[in-house]
Formats: sequence, structure tokens, C-alpha cells
Amino acid sequence: MRHPQRIGRLTAALLLMATTVAACGGDKDDDPTASAPKAPATIPELTTDPLTLSFIWFEWPPAQALEAFANKEYKKVRPNATIKVNTVPNANWHDAMFTQFAARKTDFDVAILDSQHIGEAVTNGNILDLTDFVKNNIDVNAYNPYLLAAYGQFPQAETGQRDENASLYGLPLLGDTWTMIYRKDLIGDKPPQTWDEMISAAEKCQADNPGVSGLAFHQANGSDAAAVTYNTVNGVYGGNLWDAPNRKIEGVLNDAAGQEAMEVLVNRMKPLTAKGSGNWFIDEVNAAVAQGKACIAFNWIAASGGLLDPKQSTLGTTREQILGKLGFATLPKQKTDLVPLGGMGMHVSAYSPAANQAEALNFMKWFEQADIQKKWAAAGGVPSRTDALASPEFLDAGPFNKVYADSVPRMRDMWNVPEYARLVDIENTNVNAALNGAKSPKAALDDIAKQQQDVLDSSGRKGGGGL
Amino acid sequence: MRFSVRGRAVLEVALLSVLAVVMLFPVLWMIETSLKENRDVYAVPAKLFNFDVTLDHYRDVFVSSGLSVAFLNSVIVAGASTVLATVLGVPAAWAYSRFAVKAKKDQLFFILSTRFMPPVVVVIPIFLMYRYIGLIDSALGLILIYTAFNVPFTIWMMKGFVDEVPAEYEDAAMLDGYTRLQAFRKFTLPLLVPGIAATAVFALIFSWNEFVFAIFLTSSDEVRTAPPAIAGLIGGTTVDWGLVAASSVVFALPVLIFAYLVRKHLVAGVTLGAVRR
Amino acid sequence: MSDRVSLTTDRPGRAATPKPPAPVRSRRLTDRRLAVAFIAPALLLLLGMSVFPLLWALYLSFTDYSATRGGPANFVGFGNYTAILTSAQVHLRAVTTLVYVVGAVTLQTVLGFTIAYLISRRTRGRGLLTTLFLVPMMLSPVVVGLFWRFMLDAQFGVVNSMLGSLGLGQVEWLTRQRTALISLIVVDTWQWTPFIMLIALAGLTAVPKYLYEAASIDRASEWFRFRTITLPLVWPLLLIAVLFRAIEAFRLFDLVYILTSGGPGVSTETLSFHVYKVAFLGFNTGTASAYGILMVLVVIVLTQLYLRYLNKLKED
Repeated sequence: MRHPQRIGRLTAALLLMATTVAACGGDKDDDPTASAPKAPATIPELTTDPLTLSFIWFEWPPAQALEAFANKEYKKVRPNATIKVNTVPNANWHDAMFTQFAARKTDFDVAILDSQHIGEAVTNGNILDLTDFVKNNIDVNAYNPYLLAAYGQFPQAETGQRDENASLYGLPLLGDTWTMIYRKDLIGDKPPQTWDEMISAAEKCQADNPGVSGLAFHQANGSDAAAVTYNTVNGVYGGNLWDAPNRKIEGVLNDAAGQEAMEVLVNRMKPLTAKGSGNWFIDEVNAAVAQGKACIAFNWIAASGGLLDPKQSTLGTTREQILGKLGFATLPKQKTDLVPLGGMGMHVSAYSPAANQAEALNFMKWFEQADIQKKWAAAGGVPSRTDALASPEFLDAGPFNKVYADSVPRMRDMWNVPEYARLVDIENTNVNAALNGAKSPKAALDDIAKQQQDVLDSSGRKGGGGL
Repeated sequence: MRFSVRGRAVLEVALLSVLAVVMLFPVLWMIETSLKENRDVYAVPAKLFNFDVTLDHYRDVFVSSGLSVAFLNSVIVAGASTVLATVLGVPAAWAYSRFAVKAKKDQLFFILSTRFMPPVVVVIPIFLMYRYIGLIDSALGLILIYTAFNVPFTIWMMKGFVDEVPAEYEDAAMLDGYTRLQAFRKFTLPLLVPGIAATAVFALIFSWNEFVFAIFLTSSDEVRTAPPAIAGLIGGTTVDWGLVAASSVVFALPVLIFAYLVRKHLVAGVTLGAVRR
Repeated sequence: MSDRVSLTTDRPGRAATPKPPAPVRSRRLTDRRLAVAFIAPALLLLLGMSVFPLLWALYLSFTDYSATRGGPANFVGFGNYTAILTSAQVHLRAVTTLVYVVGAVTLQTVLGFTIAYLISRRTRGRGLLTTLFLVPMMLSPVVVGLFWRFMLDAQFGVVNSMLGSLGLGQVEWLTRQRTALISLIVVDTWQWTPFIMLIALAGLTAVPKYLYEAASIDRASEWFRFRTITLPLVWPLLLIAVLFRAIEAFRLFDLVYILTSGGPGVSTETLSFHVYKVAFLGFNTGTASAYGILMVLVVIVLTQLYLRYLNKLKED
């Protein structure tokens, strides 16, 4: 390398090197048969040395709640363990986890994956297969089967069910769904029961209260914001996201029910939202409610805690005053009673050291016990065990917790396939375009169906994947 | 037909003032927001003057938001990459200036063009490379890539400064029995110090502000630098714009101070040393 | 310095050159070693961190490799390239990028030059004015993007609040197709007008006074003076600034990521942003590499233009 001018030869050498490295890498690290390695059926002996068990989540209050709760309670049984919950911006959550998975080296031991991420992680062999571990250590009958399936099972379960022969790759950490937040002082104590009623109540409220908009909901094109909104309306109006066994989206998503849902969303709901709300997600919807600028709003339950904080609200100076104005209810029904499944499970990184994996398994076993689940509920978490969901600790912890308990049997998830990130991006951008007048509702829906179908069908294509 | 000279001057000053107000208003608004209580931040119509001043947001930046770690990381990463780029770049600039290296122009242009690669494009192979050598989510990984982006700049910028120091000084020293290296160290280098300082400041500003590599190559709190950490302040469940504003001010302050210190070299600095006047 | 250090060969003292005195020859040898020792580390770093990754990307661009799926990289020939060049999605982003680059660079050139011209005609407070105008350019794109997002918020933003005080209606700055792209251009212009201003000012202050004095003796009109003296002298420098900005604008990613994340729909997705989605959402590393290589080609063409003008400028 003493001759900087021999760039031509150097180039050739480097190219050769690049080729070799990439090719060798292909043999060494990327063995396609090495899909999800199995976790041991029993927890291996735990270390007595100090150990930090790291999680990765996105930046929101439950992340801090988990870290505080785990360090307080888990330390009682494992004094040498410290829990660290790393957080990344929500928009960067998927990328941050999967770039580390791609690096085959993770700085976290437990990935808190969205339910829809499981397919991608399992197919790539990034997380441990927990089937045997669950059989020996977890009381599966203590859960609503669909909750257990949603946060752990792959291939994906049918809505509302669990396939007991399928493998499990995770356990529930935090349950979640949408709640309807409504202004009791503006539309009355009784929440609207159907989607139609809800829309007319919002219309009336907006007309009666200048400066307050009828509705507030997620419309942004990042994360899964606009996609969840459409999926929710789609479910309520009897639509289907796809025909899972035949991997068909085209003609399923954009059937008559799907079209009607898009019409309702764009032509009846969107006009009732605030001007410029087309890029709103969790925090903007919360801000609108806290500022008293929305009659009815939809948001994730786990993200609603801040609404009761008088410091951030103009609705009252005490929690009670705010609760006098805000009501929380399950989503209205229309043709079906489906609600979106949110929340996340715990998944053990396949690249974490053995001692940490053992600790992670031990933590999960500990976490899923009945009394710990109740304590987690009291600490602000949303448990998944049926007994914890029915416990006073949970139901009294927040006004929206009963909404969650009532919603559990009504939940529906999105597609849980390795192509999830692209499917959701297609839906996000197109629904967002329709909501903001950049596309007609019909064109947007047809584009979603066509582009998503292309993604599912593209596995055999030569080149150009991902465009 | 002509305006009077006076009228014209007044017009020009007025236009300049309007432009200055427009350009500076966002900065002013950022400072104001950082000093407002949260209820005033969202006030409609916006409160320009009549708001209560609070320093709570600044306290939050250092105490409760966890941003202090990110600021510290930024100092380490930006500092180390600047030192490395200077150590590698200054001698190279001197050599390019003093010696008739073959295909010098081509080499120099090649060096500069590496600086123009789109970061989003470079990050893909860098990511793959880092994963083989275990540099993903490490401070060293960020330091190396920032150094690689700063070295071309340092060479171009410093070559200009070296060109300005007459080579005769070194020749004279060598006639006195010094070797070339000693001549460089004892006579040229001291004269280059102001130039090196200016160059280093620009390299520091680049590394300090950089976002794309930081967000794709790091993910843990321990390594994350300030730009992705500040970006992470939005997108949770509530946005604290006061905190965003306060952390932005804290983050921007060192850069503005540094930029003021090197104001004489700004033209060269912002054109990667390509244009000097 | 006229001693030519040859790096092509290690043969001591090339026979063809006139024989130098002995001590000088040994000095030359040291010079050569010194040059290599001083230049090589920097070049090595660039080869390792810039050239090597780029060549790797070039190799991957002919495969269907995915960084997460693993498995061997299958050779697909020019499949990725033809797919990208014929994709309607890519064409859409190319048009968006073009509108953005042309719009932003034009706007900041006009504004930047105007400000520079106005400042150059002032005698007092010039330094302070220049420094103040430069502030936006020094800020991180993260800070700029976040803060403009706050200011352009349709409900709480100060921009709409001011429009309201003037009796104008609310504008959806970030959520309508047209306004979102305009907002992006405006924010970029706000940040980078100082850049053009700075360089134009350097050109303007370098115009020799006597030229103007000569012109005023001729009683030449203001416009005539501007057109025949000022502009031709500042033009080359301004062109460099414009090219530089065009390259930077073409590479833009962070501002889009923070201000609009490409929305509404995909109407503010630039090529850079699209590459990111291909690379990190689907982890289609092969396709993303080909996409990146094509972008690099565009940058190389722009850079070549830039360097050529720079060269010309230096020779004049």
C-alpha cells in the first residue's frame, strides 16, 4: 500500500476482497437452515455474578414503568440482576431492532417486538423458540388463548384462537388496544354504541362547540399509525385484511366492505378532524384531548395515562376534575365488534450470551406469575393473565383498564409475516395519502391491495425487490 | 428617474432588516419557547412577549430527560473524530502541498469526491462492514466514519493554509542542518496552528450535527449521540416542545460559539476548503 | 519546490534526471518516504471507509442479497438496475427530488445573493450582520427539522397564528401535497440561504473598487454597472455555491425524515428517503445497493461539474 497511485490494481484487489468477504459471510453467518434456535426446556443454572438484563423498546411511559417495576420487584428474587430498558424513537423502533439482528449481535437480551414483527424475526432466526420452555414453565391455561398466540405464535394464529401445535416465540409483556376517549361534558355520559352513532355525536358536538373538532385519531404515515386506523374501521365494517391461507390481499382488502370502510374513514370521519391533523399520531391526539380540542378521540390505552395528569391538561386541575370530563369506552360496534390488538411481547435475542438468555427465561417465568402480573397491573402495566385482568389491582389502576378487559375477546391483529414492515408502509402511506387528499379513497385502497399483493408474490422475482 | 441616494439607502436598510427578522425569527422563537411554561407553548394566538419565564425546561435537559448522556457521547465522538481527522489530515495536506506527488490533482479530487457520497447510500455497505468487524452500535464505529468524512475536508482546507506558508522557511532550515521532518515540526507547524484550529472546529461542527449515520449505526442509550436523542423527544405519548426547544438551544450553543471563533475562515470552511477568499 | 518526488518507482535516483549532488539525493529519498508516510494513512482510511464499502455495494447491487434474511447472495445480473430504472415508484421520487432541488437551490440563490448584495453596500455593522445571518446554517438538521415542524403545526404553530392575526386562514403546511413540498423547500432555503450569501459576499467584497469608480466617471447606470462589473466577477463563485448546494440538496435525507417523513402519502419522499425505505424496511440490500450506486453516479456527475468549475476558477 505504499503506492497511492496504483488505484486501478488496488480497486481490483478490493473488489476481490469484497466479493470474498461477502461470499464467506454467506457461508459462515447466514446459514438459511438456522432458523430460530430453541431455548432450553428448563431454565439453566443462573449466574451469581452481577448481570444486566437489557431490553429494547421505544420511548414511552410504559418503558420507564417496566424498568422501575422490574428493578424493584425482580431484584427481590435475583439481587444480582439489574434491568435496563433501552429506548429508541418510535419511528426508529423496528429499524433499531432489526439492524442489530442483521448484525448478528445485539446489545439487548430481550427484544420487545410488536406482534407483527414476530414473523420477520422467526424467519431470520433472530429470536429463540420458546415452545418447550413454555410447556414446562408457563401455565398456558391462565391466558386468553388469543393473547398468548398474538404475542408469541408463528405462523400466525387465526383471529381469536391459538393453534396449540404451533411454536411459541414470545410471551405477553404489555397488552393494549384502542380506547374511545369522549368528552362527557360535551356529548353526555353514555358513550356512542355504534360507529354511526359515534360519527353523528362527533358531528353534533363539533357544530355545538366552535373550536373543538369532532374527532381525533392517528393519521400519520410513520410507524403503523394510519394503517391501524384503517384496519380498525375495516374490521368494524366487516372487512378483511387478507385471506391468510392463500396469501391473497388483492380482491380481499378492497372488496365491498373494505371500500365502505375507506369511504367512512375519508369522507365521514376525516372531515370531523382538526385542520392539519393529517400527520397526527399518539402524542398529537393526546395533546388535542388535553387541550380540550376534541370531542371524541381514539388512542392506545397504554399511551393514555398522561391524559389524567393535571400538569399537562387544560381540562382540570385535579385528576378527578379531568375524569369528570373525560370518559373512556370500548370502541363502538357496527357490522362487527372487532378492535385492534396492540401491545407487545418479550422475545429472547438469539445473539445474547447464554447467561443472559437464562436470566431472560427466568425473568419471563417470574413475570408471568399471577401475583407478579397483579403487581405489574398496579404499577401501570397491562397484564395478560385472565386472573390479573379481572383483579381489582388492574381494574382500579386506571379508568381505561376496564376498557381493555372488555376488549380482549374482540381483538384482531394485522398480518404477522416476514414482509410486515413493507406491507405496513404501503398501507400507511396510501391511507395517509387518502386522508390528506393526495389520492381518492378508492384509488388508495386499490393501490394498497395491489402493492401489498406484489410484495407477497415477489419472493421468486429476480432483482428489484423492495421497490 | 433615479431615487435620491438617501432614499435608496433607507430602502435597502429596510429590506435588509425585514430579511434579517425573517431569518432570525425561528431562532428567536426557539429561545422563547424554551423559556415558556407548557400552557403558553400551545397558546393560540401565539404569545410573543407576554409569557412567564421559566427555566424548568433547561433543568429537564440536564436532570430528568437522560439527554446529558447523549451530550457527553456527542462530545466524545465529535472530539475523537476531530482529533483523528486532524492527525491524519494535516500531515497529508502538508505532503500534498510541498511535494510533487504524482497525479496530485487526481488524488486530491478523488479525496474530495468521497466527501460528497450520499450518507444514506454509504450507510448500507458501512453497516454490513461494521457487522463483520463488530462496530455496530459502538462509539468507535461512529468515530471512524466521521473521521472518514472529515479527512477529505481537513486535507483540502489545510492544503490552503500550508500553501500560504512559504516553502523557503523549510529550505532555509534544512540548509542549517535540520532534516525535512524537523523543519516541518519546528518551523512550519507552529505557523499552521491557527489554520489547524479553524479546520478542527469545522470538523467538530460536522460531527456534532451529524444525524444519518448516528441513527442507523447506533441504538443503545449508552452510545447514542445528541441528534438522534433530541429527535427521540417527539414520538412518545406527549410532546414537550419546551424541552425540545431547550435541548435544541443547549445543543446549538457550542456550535454557534465555535462558528463565531472561526468566522474569518467561514467561506473556506463551508465549501470543504475548496473556495478561499 | 521543484524536486519531483516519484512515487511510481523505488529505483533510487532516476538515471535520466540530471544528477543532483549527493546530500540532496539522500534528502530526496527522505522526502519521498515522508510523502508516502504522511499521505498513505489518510488515503488508507478513505480506501477502507469510502472506496471499499462502495465497491462492496457495487458487488451487492448485482445480487438479491438481504442483510437480515441471510442465505447466499444470488447473482441477478442487471436485474436490480433495470427494475429501478423502470419503476414508476422511482420515477415519482426522481421528479419530487428534482422539484425540490431546483426549487430550493433557485430560491436560496436569489435570496442569498440579494442579502449579500445589500450587506456589501453597507459600510457599518457588516460583520455583525453577516454573523447573525449565518446562524441557521450552523444548526443541526435535526434541530431545524423539529423546530420548523412545531412552527408549521396547523393548530398550534406560530406561522398559522400570525396568518390568523393578519386575518388569513389556517394553512395545512405539512399535510397537503403541494404545501408539504413547498414547506420542505422553504425550510431548506431558510437553513441554506446563508451559505449562498456567505460565498456571494466573498465575491462581492473582492470586486476591486477602482472598477466602480471608473464606471461612475462614465456615468454608467446602476443596472449597467451591476450587469457588466459585479455579476461577471461574482458569477463563477456563485456557480460553485449553486453546484455545491445542488449536491447537498440531492443527498438530503434528515430534513425529510423529521419534517414530513415523506408525507402526505409519498409526496415528499426524495430519492434518499426511498433508498432508506428499501434498505431498512424490507432489508432488500441488493436493490438498495443498486439504487445507491445509481445515486452515486448522479453525485459524481455533479461533483465533476463542480470540480471542473473550481479548477477553472483557480486557474483564472
